[in-house]
Amino acid sequence: MKSRLDRHAVLFAAALALLAVLGAWLLFGRGAVPIQTDLLAMLPATEQQPLAEAAVQRLAHANGDRVVLLVQNADDERAKAAARALGKALAGDHVFRSVMAELPPFDLHEMVAPYLPHRFFLLSDADRAAMAAPGYDPAQALAQRLNAPFLDGVGTTLQNDPFGWLQHWLDEQPWSRSSLLPEDNLLVAHPDGGTSVLVTATLDGSSYDDTVQRRALAAVDTAVRQVEHGQPGTRVLRTGAVFYAAAARAGAEHDVRLVGWISTLGIALLLIGMFRSPGPLLLAFLSTAAGVLAATVVSLLVFGQIYLLTLVFGAALLGEAVDYSIQYLTARANAGSRWDAAAGLRQVRPALLLALATSLLGYALLAGVPFPALRQMAVFAMSGMLAACLSVFWLLPAMLQRAARPLSAAPVRWALALQRAVGRAGQGRRGLGLAVLLLLLALPGWQRLGHDDDVHLLISPPASLVAQEHRIRDITGLGNGSQFYLVQGANTEQTLQREELLEQRLQAMVRRGQLADWLGLARMAPSQARQQADHALLARSLQADGTVPATGEPPAGAPASTRTRADRERLQSLLVAGGLRADAAAGYADTWPGTPLAFTRWLESPLATPFRYLWMGCSAQGCASIVLPQGDDDAQLQSAADRLPGVILVDKAASVSQLFGRYRRYASLWLFAAIMLVVPVFGWRYGWQRMLRVMLPPVAGIALALAALGYLGQPLTLFHWMALMLVLGVGANYAVFLHEGEPHTAHRPGAMYASVLLSAITTLLSFGLLSLSSMPALHDFGITLLLGIGFTVLLVPTSRPPVTDAP
Amino acid sequence: MRHLIAVLFALGVLLGTPDTGLCATGTPTPLLQQVLGELARHEAVRADFVQTRSNPALARPQESHGQLLFVLGHGMLWQSLAPVAETLAFTGRQAARIDTQGQAYPLRNARGVAQISDMLQSMLAGHGDEVSRQFDMTASGTLAHWTLQLVPRQERVARVLERIELSGGEFLQGIRIVMHDGGDTDIRFSRNRDAGELSGLEKRVLGLP
Repeated sequence: MKSRLDRHAVLFAAALALLAVLGAWLLFGRGAVPIQTDLLAMLPATEQQPLAEAAVQRLAHANGDRVVLLVQNADDERAKAAARALGKALAGDHVFRSVMAELPPFDLHEMVAPYLPHRFFLLSDADRAAMAAPGYDPAQALAQRLNAPFLDGVGTTLQNDPFGWLQHWLDEQPWSRSSLLPEDNLLVAHPDGGTSVLVTATLDGSSYDDTVQRRALAAVDTAVRQVEHGQPGTRVLRTGAVFYAAAARAGAEHDVRLVGWISTLGIALLLIGMFRSPGPLLLAFLSTAAGVLAATVVSLLVFGQIYLLTLVFGAALLGEAVDYSIQYLTARANAGSRWDAAAGLRQVRPALLLALATSLLGYALLAGVPFPALRQMAVFAMSGMLAACLSVFWLLPAMLQRAARPLSAAPVRWALALQRAVGRAGQGRRGLGLAVLLLLLALPGWQRLGHDDDVHLLISPPASLVAQEHRIRDITGLGNGSQFYLVQGANTEQTLQREELLEQRLQAMVRRGQLADWLGLARMAPSQARQQADHALLARSLQADGTVPATGEPPAGAPASTRTRADRERLQSLLVAGGLRADAAAGYADTWPGTPLAFTRWLESPLATPFRYLWMGCSAQGCASIVLPQGDDDAQLQSAADRLPGVILVDKAASVSQLFGRYRRYASLWLFAAIMLVVPVFGWRYGWQRMLRVMLPPVAGIALALAALGYLGQPLTLFHWMALMLVLGVGANYAVFLHEGEPHTAHRPGAMYASVLLSAITTLLSFGLLSLSSMPALHDFGITLLLGIGFTVLLVPTSRPPVTDAP
Repeated sequence: MRHLIAVLFALGVLLGTPDTGLCATGTPTPLLQQVLGELARHEAVRADFVQTRSNPALARPQESHGQLLFVLGHGMLWQSLAPVAETLAFTGRQAARIDTQGQAYPLRNARGVAQISDMLQSMLAGHGDEVSRQFDMTASGTLAHWTLQLVPRQERVARVLERIELSGGEFLQGIRIVMHDGGDTDIRFSRNRDAGELSGLEKRVLGLP
């Protein structure tokens, strides 16, 4: 018998060692530590169209490796000096591939020249509307441009654009609308009278890489401190994925330390106090370590990476995984000198298996939710619990051959007193009265329950970072929200045409003041249909002038070259009549008709570089592009996409919230279903009447936890319900432990309840600490478990007939 | 940026900027201060204008004329009578074309216009920062007959805009904008007078009570 125990232990230990090697290799042997700090990765795919999901990823990562800094000072000179110094300081660090503070030299005419060949195909909205209206007179437009007050200067020249049509079109382009303007070779805005200067840097590596994060953060912090010191009154706002990722990592690390260390320490003290010997403590930790190790390896094998949520949750799981070894250790302590490792195992095995089954059931439901982070949490917990339980079956017995001292007397006495008090209170009429009282107390709490499905449950960046990003967005117009339009068409042309339909609506919203602005490719490179229509409109407007060309009006059906010549002559005479010199007029007219702007050519040009990410490209299914609305997030963006073929509004945050809400509603049904699932299992094991008693504590624990959450004013989230599922699983464990263990400890009343209390307190400790987590999801999880398990363990004595004094 | 800086500047000075040391290069000269102080004395001013624009692309200079109304703290109404009859309103918040019915149509490039208004507002509030960031300013002549010369400080602007000259006595009498490409816009003001009572339309488009 003993040798079989040893054989199991050796095999199990060998398996653990192998697992440890595998784990070490998975964690550290493959380059960067596989901890995922990209919070977006925790969100599920919510969009029905894979392309929409791809667009979400692309937008999130379009500026993913970029750091945006805004240097502010009330004093103009100081702001600019600080920005230059900041640029220099950052450029000196190799963590940045490039740093831009001072602008590279460029000629403003370079912004105009590429469009000159296409000038007769590009019309601004206002010119298009004016030309389409009856009575448009190009001569009048020319006179207006030539005599406009002050409107002289940079931009198109009179020779190139005497009517101002191209200038009007250029004025509509995003770079003309930017609130950042070049000044002293820097990009500057002047909000509220002060000066804000933009400094950007591109990381040499990923924002989610641990080393890059640390180095970039240190470089920015040092440089910012220097310039804030060097130029008093300077403030530097920052935004960029790297800051969010670093904050998330720091928050999680803080949580892990808090939860991990305090619960480890607490559990150690409790175990030492109960078992009065360091041996059990070490074995309990060995079993827990086996669980954590297995959980980490399985999670890494299944998911390839560890989410921050799992990291923190894993630290809290310690308190639950230690329960199995506690049950075995207390059995040993209670057996005294009659201890036999194998017999002891047989004694606790049914309870442990039942407990494991209920826990696995609870977590398996969590794994059914389509959130990658929650799934990993469930897989982590399930594999961890399983390994911890198996270690009790296969590893611990071999190491616990000798009998142990009995449990400390004092805790057993307290446990007995509590067990008796609760047991008596729960009996007969008094019990009924108490139940009614509790129900009355709980009612107002239930009535106060609300719910919350916001995406911040999973992603809640520090408020200061969010505030800085908003401020930077307000001042610079940079950055984008989580809402955008995905426009799809069979080919490039159709996609652009559909974009134009959408943009007409968006422009109308801008005019009504419902939207600040929008960014789309079709405004920068219109569809061929739009360009041909604009060109035709222009040609018609010129003819409407009534000037008859010297060569006479070409007959209908004349060859194109004849028509072109006639158009040129008309254009030239119009310009000369308007006051232009003949050679300037001829120079302009000779460029008629020019060519339309080709989208693909434009997309490859340097002008398109900042906007190229908006084009999703083409595949066998068709082409797609992104249109970004800018301004109020709650504008009626959906209405702009209504009944437009190929256009959908993608709102990741709203989709995630909807999903949260849907699963929250499911979760309440699941909880009911889970209770119904446990009922026949317990009914089979304990008989129907006793089943009710065993089920009462966890079910009442859940009901009271809900009432307490109501009193605490906590709106229910998906995570509260998930935690309640665990309360059922873990709470049922305690009823099972007490029920199964009591007959074996009849000689020591209170000892079994003491061990249940010990299990509960270790669990409460780690999950209670989880309620201090900076992640709302884990906070909700922690507080619910704390309340639910707390109530359950108090009520557990009612599941047994009242204890009588030992002989 | 662009032409609009010129507009702004002309507006600001014309409206009369409190003498808050507009000169970016050292302390403002007494003459400059006096001139600005003098201009700032008029709450609302009307004037007739003649604008002459020459450009290498033009066979002959373009000439237009009309009326101008300034109201301190509110903006200006540029009313061209010939060769094109059109009215433009430059107000704190926007620039707009006013049709014959008095209906306002916002001008293109609203963001650029908002910048002008912003700069304008700050000038009127006594902050000359924006102008001094953009131009070096020198004054010459006497209080009865002065000239202010503004040379752009920003390299990108300086490549295109050579200088702006303002001249006048008690009132502003001329604005000249000289471009490097040979473009030259000269605006002459005459019959400068305090505006008196404003019409309903003027009040409405300038946003007066």
